[in-house]
Amino acid sequence: MAIAVIRFPGTNNEKDVMRVLASIPGGDPYLVPNYDGPGPLARADGVFIPGGFSYGDYLRAGAVASVEAIIDGVVEIAKAGKPVIGICNGFQILAEAGLLPGVLLPNKSARFVCKWINLRTCETKSIYTEGLDSAILRIPIAHAEGNYYCSEEDLHMLKGEGRVSFRYCNSEGEPTQEVNPNGSLDNIAGIVNERGNVLGMMPHPERASRAILGSTDGLAILENFVRATKAP
Amino acid sequence: MSVIREGKVKRVLEDPESSQHVIIEFTNFVTAGDGAKKEELEGKGRLACDITEFLLQYLSDKGIETHYVETLEGPKIRCFRAAILPVEVVCRNVAAGSFCRRYGIDRGIELSEPLVEFFLKDDKLGDPLITEEAVMRLQLVNRSDIGFMKSIALSVNHYLSELFAQQNLRLVDFKLEFGRTADGRLVVADEISGDTMRIWNKEGESLDKDLFREDSGDLLSAYVGLLDILRKTDPKIIPIRSEEVHVMVMPKEGIKNPPGEVTRKGLIRLGFQDVKEVRVGKEFKIVLTRPLTSSLLKGLELMNIKLLTNPIAETHEVRLS
Ligand SMILES: Nc1ncnc2c1ncn2[C@@H]1O[C@H](COP(=O)(O)OP(=O)(O)OP(=O)(O)O)[C@@H](O)[C@H]1O
Ligand SMILES: [Mg+2]
Repeated sequence: MAIAVIRFPGTNNEKDVMRVLASIPGGDPYLVPNYDGPGPLARADGVFIPGGFSYGDYLRAGAVASVEAIIDGVVEIAKAGKPVIGICNGFQILAEAGLLPGVLLPNKSARFVCKWINLRTCETKSIYTEGLDSAILRIPIAHAEGNYYCSEEDLHMLKGEGRVSFRYCNSEGEPTQEVNPNGSLDNIAGIVNERGNVLGMMPHPERASRAILGSTDGLAILENFVRATKAP
Repeated sequence: MSVIREGKVKRVLEDPESSQHVIIEFTNFVTAGDGAKKEELEGKGRLACDITEFLLQYLSDKGIETHYVETLEGPKIRCFRAAILPVEVVCRNVAAGSFCRRYGIDRGIELSEPLVEFFLKDDKLGDPLITEEAVMRLQLVNRSDIGFMKSIALSVNHYLSELFAQQNLRLVDFKLEFGRTADGRLVVADEISGDTMRIWNKEGESLDKDLFREDSGDLLSAYVGLLDILRKTDPKIIPIRSEEVHVMVMPKEGIKNPPGEVTRKGLIRLGFQDVKEVRVGKEFKIVLTRPLTSSLLKGLELMNIKLLTNPIAETHEVRLS
């Protein structure tokens, strides 16, 4: 189905993302540069906001992109219940735009972190984690601002409503502080919105989608996303 | 028309047509030393009214919000009714009057930059100088309104100085009063005339109330001259200047600030053992196309909520001066 892959100035993962999505049966990605505005999103069955450094990460990561006109179109898609996924900078943009609660702060280490991590699928029942019950996935991260933070009430709500999709964990699947790569609250790596159709996550499933890349663990998440674009 | 307030030189009257407005009537009285010296000069009210009308109209054409609505017969002006803030704002370019007495300096010394001072509006105390800190600590005016008044006073100073400069006159100093309208705007109120300014010609001669204060000349003919001069100016060629404000953004207390933590480590390594904590925030310098207004101020708050700040993790403060 038609998947709009949005590119802002500084987005740099769009080619990887387009390639994976095109390889998944039913995935029909098309690139939408931010300056085309929300118009081209009208025909989208889903939206993908890839990673990168939109607007040089100036101000705050994702902040400038989050007030672009094209985001109005993303909000419409989300309201319509169609799947919207934001990876890394895409997650930061969705959070800044208010489509997801919380904010991604600078990593606790104050450094850019680029490494393979283990990801545990959590209590969620979202479309994105179908078939991934309590799975442990090996997927890379690469970010300077991935330290998930939100108010206590929001955290309570996210947990209570089963909206924490992924947590950083050790090889046993335990979300310990030793393996928390960025200081995220409760080891949170990915969350969904109230309706469950908008997912934001810091790890890069598209970089773990072929054996030659070292892992195919991310593919299932993207396949779930593509499948959701077909749902009526 | 019923009298709301009978001042020393003006009368504030109810506007029979609207409760949003008041009518200010200029009398022929002129006073000095908080009323210690007082005289009535035929025609003085008309002159002060006309000069006020001219200058408030000029300032509002440059984007500064004032209480002025229109001139009525009488010497009267219709104004927005305003709750007057309890401090008067004085802006000085050149030392004169009480400033010279206070610091023991000669009349005519140029200040390195325009100076804004606050005076407590209290006739019994003789309108004493009051520091910004005292204004805040006594909760007479809040920090934001103080910054707003300072910014406007400096804008007014710029525009008035430019206008008088066209006629080779020097704006030495002036006093402003500010008031809050029913719809919440902070506007320049009261009058701006020879009674509330000092203006000197190239020879250092006064064209203002100092002539009366010091018995050094004919006030009425000076005011006639002042109005004449204003009518010869060309206000339109004076461009609208930009104004600068600053927004400070800080990570909220209790939220870890890694950039600050590594900076602290660096400082400790350099031997600054007493640095207990460093938190890194941001400062935005924002240049506005026109003078501050209450709605621009609201806009600055909105800018913070919409983009400059992430309220989940950051606090902000708009600094107007
Ligand atoms: N728009 C306005 N709405 C209400 N009151 C106003 C407005 N503009 C000015 N005033 C007030 O009207 C009065 C004008 O009278 P006048 O200047 O003669 O007073 P004053 O004797 O100097 O007293 P004050 O010390 O209060 O200035 C002042 O008290 C002034 O603060
Ligand atoms: Mg007065």
